[in-house]
Amino acid sequence: MLEVKEVQKRYGTFELECSLTILDGQITGLIGQNGAGKSTLFKAILDLITLDSGSIQIFGKEHHELSGKEKEKLGVVLSDSGFSAYLTVRDIIAILKNMYSNFDLSYFQKQMQRFQLPYDQKIKEFSTGMKAKLKVLIALSHHAKLLILDEPTAGLDVIARDEILDLLRDYMEDENDASILISSHIAEDLESLCDDLYMIHEGKMIFHEDTDVLLSDYAILKMSEEQFKKLDTQYILKACKEAYSYACLTNQKQYYMENEPGITIEKGTIDAVITMMIRGYSL
Amino acid sequence: MHLIINHSSMVPIYEQIVEQIKEGILKQELKENYPLPSVRTLSKELKISALTVKKAYDALESEGFICTVHGKGSYIAPVNPQLVWEEQRKELEQDLEGILQKAKRFDITKEELKDLFLLLLEESSCWK
Repeated sequence: MLEVKEVQKRYGTFELECSLTILDGQITGLIGQNGAGKSTLFKAILDLITLDSGSIQIFGKEHHELSGKEKEKLGVVLSDSGFSAYLTVRDIIAILKNMYSNFDLSYFQKQMQRFQLPYDQKIKEFSTGMKAKLKVLIALSHHAKLLILDEPTAGLDVIARDEILDLLRDYMEDENDASILISSHIAEDLESLCDDLYMIHEGKMIFHEDTDVLLSDYAILKMSEEQFKKLDTQYILKACKEAYSYACLTNQKQYYMENEPGITIEKGTIDAVITMMIRGYSL
Repeated sequence: MHLIINHSSMVPIYEQIVEQIKEGILKQELKENYPLPSVRTLSKELKISALTVKKAYDALESEGFICTVHGKGSYIAPVNPQLVWEEQRKELEQDLEGILQKAKRFDITKEELKDLFLLLLEESSCWK
């Protein structure tokens, strides 16, 4: 569906250098701190910035060679983009009808109803949650094959976030083989939605794993210094010294559960893994 | 069908699904030919990754509990009670074997272990 190959882009001291693959029918999450390069990567994928080197393929074609018709198969949410705040939803529907040959009015109306969005109110009068829902809805309105969503849930409360994620889940159920690339800095959102996850830090991909494997096989091991010295480190990815103990990240939880009965083992969560990947050191 | 996922459990989510569907089959709550939700649907409803659901379905299929018709979905396979019984016994044996090894590591004698087991059996509320 989408393949980003060894893309490089330099802005002053910041350098983006990454690869990423999104398979048909999969939801891929991109997670990273503010300024890690998430939005730069999204812009690169959409051909909004020129690459220094590397290539990006969408639907098996170079991304800058996509025809207008092929671009209609993309659904996009970017953080600082959208329709003029002086338009109403009714105005936007007219635009979308002319913009996308596949625009699905009945789907759009159904979701408008679901989220109780008003047709005749100017968007500038919408709440943050309403604006966010509308943006995602527009991206989903025309049966896009690839959704590229940059922080669609940023700044929303837990209920609004959940509603947007449910909208995406419904979409994936209804559309055969659609794929999603979604970024967020709220790990929980991605944990419950994505099939695989990429972690970006200072412009580089530092981690890629299936969510399923991350949740079932990764763990944080906590132990005393003596235990740490004797620890079998063959499956330890990162270690970190804490105030009164040592913490280690492993991708073989089962192994340590069976062989190191004395140490404390916590289930891996995305947040724990990111923190260890960034703060920990390799052995 | 009942499925309860415990996100804070150490048991991987796919295993939780496998165990609960097996249990449903065993208790005859899930009957032969009962259609299971598609991978995407179950993933949506449980709010978990589709690959986790797929892993659970694959495991159930390889053990003969469900069958998948390409393009149509997955169904509960006809059950052989004998097979299920053997399956459970095998699992129990494995667990007990693990305990035996642990006892060995802890230098517990056969007699001590036997006494401990009988004591626990006596006090257990499982069979009351």
